[in-house]
Formats: sequence, structure tokens, C-alpha cells
Amino acid sequence: MFTQNPQTLGMPEGTYVFDLRTCNRRLAFNRFFWNMIRPEAREAFWQDEEAAMASAGLDDEEKALVRARDWLGIVQSGVNFFVLEKWARVVRKTNLEVYAIMRGESLEEFMQTRAVPHAR
Amino acid sequence: MARIIGGIGTSHVPTIGVAYDKGRQEDPVWAPLFEGYKPVARWLAEKQPDVLLFFYNDHATTLFFDLYPTFALGVGARFPVADEGAGLRGLPDIRGDVDFQAHIGEALVNEEFDLAFFQNKPIDHGIASPLPLLWPHEPDWPGTVVPIAINVLQYPLPTARRCYRLGQAVRRAVESYPEDLSVVVVGTGGLSHQIHGERTGFNNTEWDLEFLELLRDDPERLTRLSHADYVRLGGAESVEQIMWLAMRGALGPQLDEVHRNYYLMTTTAMTVVTYEERVAGDLAAPMREQEVA
Ligand SMILES: [Fe+2]
Repeated sequence: MFTQNPQTLGMPEGTYVFDLRTCNRRLAFNRFFWNMIRPEAREAFWQDEEAAMASAGLDDEEKALVRARDWLGIVQSGVNFFVLEKWARVVRKTNLEVYAIMRGESLEEFMQTRAVPHAR
Repeated sequence: MARIIGGIGTSHVPTIGVAYDKGRQEDPVWAPLFEGYKPVARWLAEKQPDVLLFFYNDHATTLFFDLYPTFALGVGARFPVADEGAGLRGLPDIRGDVDFQAHIGEALVNEEFDLAFFQNKPIDHGIASPLPLLWPHEPDWPGTVVPIAINVLQYPLPTARRCYRLGQAVRRAVESYPEDLSVVVVGTGGLSHQIHGERTGFNNTEWDLEFLELLRDDPERLTRLSHADYVRLGGAESVEQIMWLAMRGALGPQLDEVHRNYYLMTTTAMTVVTYEERVAGDLAAPMREQEVA
């Protein structure tokens, strides 16, 4: 039976609460990204993405999200951003680039909304 | 007896560490940030605390969600700075005083804060991003660190009130240590930012400034907010400001804010604030330095 944590009642749109249920559903997927803090895991991913995903036990939906570099889809599926950003380093994306993608904008468009648009 | 001589609230944005490592201190885009830390570094150089006690969070680097503690205290003479996917940073290991860390742990558990303990593990940008802007590190750090990690990633998070009470218990723990150590408490994270989902890029400067006023003068009010309130007001990841409440709980009732720097460059309102305790009977000291970029 689902019960609501009163502390997370009234979360705004476009925000995905990473809680025990989400984490339990997507633990392997989160672990796949977390592993990127180890040079061996980064090397294995660069060598053969498909093999790396298979040995991490990702399901078909998760593999498709990785292949598509679907950053927002990965977050919506239940991955915590702080493990995801470790993988961003591996595929050579800056956080600003990932932020723009999650908003459905180009990096230039996103930066125009910022206080210091030419910052990098 | 050990005592707390002040407090610092600071952002821990990982790109601060990247910009620092790349030597971008003079870059016009980054200078307002780095300049803003110089008065804090000077204050620390003048006060010469033996210990920085950090309330920070691990970003699922050292600790993974298969066993993610609500509160965890690090015990060790050395903590390496973590590889978070981009390689090592070339900073010396963070130093620790095992007797003092163990005392804080014992005192907190005896006060019913049932912490987890970690040893021989790296520390990520939750501390390592701001630390080199606060303390010099060549040839080595001038003091030791007590790292207290707080879960701000995986709900249920500890409530704002629980973090504040943790800070209060830390003060009693520090003051029950017989050695004359001077301690500065540091809360890291924030201020407003959201970095996941379609709401990425949310900021709220008005709320940030109100938060700083309340934190200094009326922290009890901040303890009554729910996590959803913090998320609504400051963005999803700003909920980590409950770690500033832990820092505030360790400080006395009346504070002077002796320095503040607020710089919203791209996605996070990068902020650093220094607090001194006002001794009873003192008049309010004028704010000595304030820059809002
Ligand atoms: Fe953080």
C-alpha cells in the first residue's frame, strides 16, 4: 500500500522525488552510473558500451535510454542526478550541457536565461 | 575545553573545484566567486582554528544507495579527495584528529543521535569543493576536519528540525572535549538551485536572502519548513540547506554576520557567509564586509 511521506507533499512540477521506492526499482541502473567513479568502469564503457550495460544487468528500457543519451528520460525513470553526473564526465558532457538538454533547450538558449550568459 | 569560535555557510558546487584546479581565479567570470572567499580565508588565517567541523553531504560517491546513512561521521587521520568520474584533483589528503572525531561520535550517540561511522573512505565535493578556498593546502592543510555527512539525496531525508538539533548536540559534544581545541563549524550546499528534471535552472534570490536573514536571526522558523517547502522555494537540490541549519544549531543564539558573498552565475546561487557569536551585552557589530555580486 502506498503511503505519502508528508515531507514531500506538494513537490512542484518538473521535479522527481528520489525516494526508497524509486531507488529500489532502479538500483542496478543507479549503480551502473555510480560505477563511473572507477577508472576501470570508465574504460570498460569506452571499450564496449553494450557489454558494460549487459554486465551491469540493465533492462531493455534502461539500455535504450543510455543509447539515446536521453538525460531527462533517465532522470524520469528514477536515476539520481548525482550518479548521472559521473557518467556525464565519461561521455564528455558538461553539467551545463546536460541542464540545457533536460530543459529541452540548446546550450546557447539555456545560457541566455542565466545571469552570466557567457560563463562556462 | 574545546570550543566553537564561529561558523561558515558555503556552497559546494563541483565546478568551483574545477575552476580552482584550472587556475581561473582571475577569470572575470569566476573572480566574483573567488574574491568573495578571500575575506573568509583571511578570517580563518587570523582565528587559526584547529578544526573545521563540516556538515556536508556525500553525492553518492563514497556511499552508495545500497547502504545510505542518514547521518554518518568520518573517523580517520587522512581522507583522500574522491575521484567523481573526472579523475583525481591533486589535493593533499584531508587531515583528521581521530580522538576528537571519536569523542564527537561517542557524545552524539550517547545523546541518541545514532550515527553511522565511515573510515578509510574518500570525501567528495561536499567538502572538497570549498575547502581549498577556505584553507591553504601547500604543503599541507593547517588543521583537521570532522566530516559529518547528512543524507540530502534519498528521501526520507532527516527533517530540517532534526538537522538543527544535531547541530545543538554537536555543540555540547565539542564543549565536553577536555583539550583546548578551537573549532569552526561549516555547513555546505545551496543556495537556490535545481539541477534535474524540467525545472532545472530554477533560482530564487529573494528567498535566498530571506533564508540568510532567518538563519541568522530566527532559525527556529526555518526548522518548521518541510522538504517540499525548501524545494518549492529554492529548487530541488536546495533542500541541502538543511545542512546550514545543522551548522546554525551549533552556534549561539545571537550572531553577527561578519562577511557575506552571493554570486549567482549560472545555476547555483553560490554563497559564503561567516558568523561570529555575539557575547551577551555586546552591541551589534556592524557588518564589516558585504558583497552581493
Ligand atoms: Fe550538493
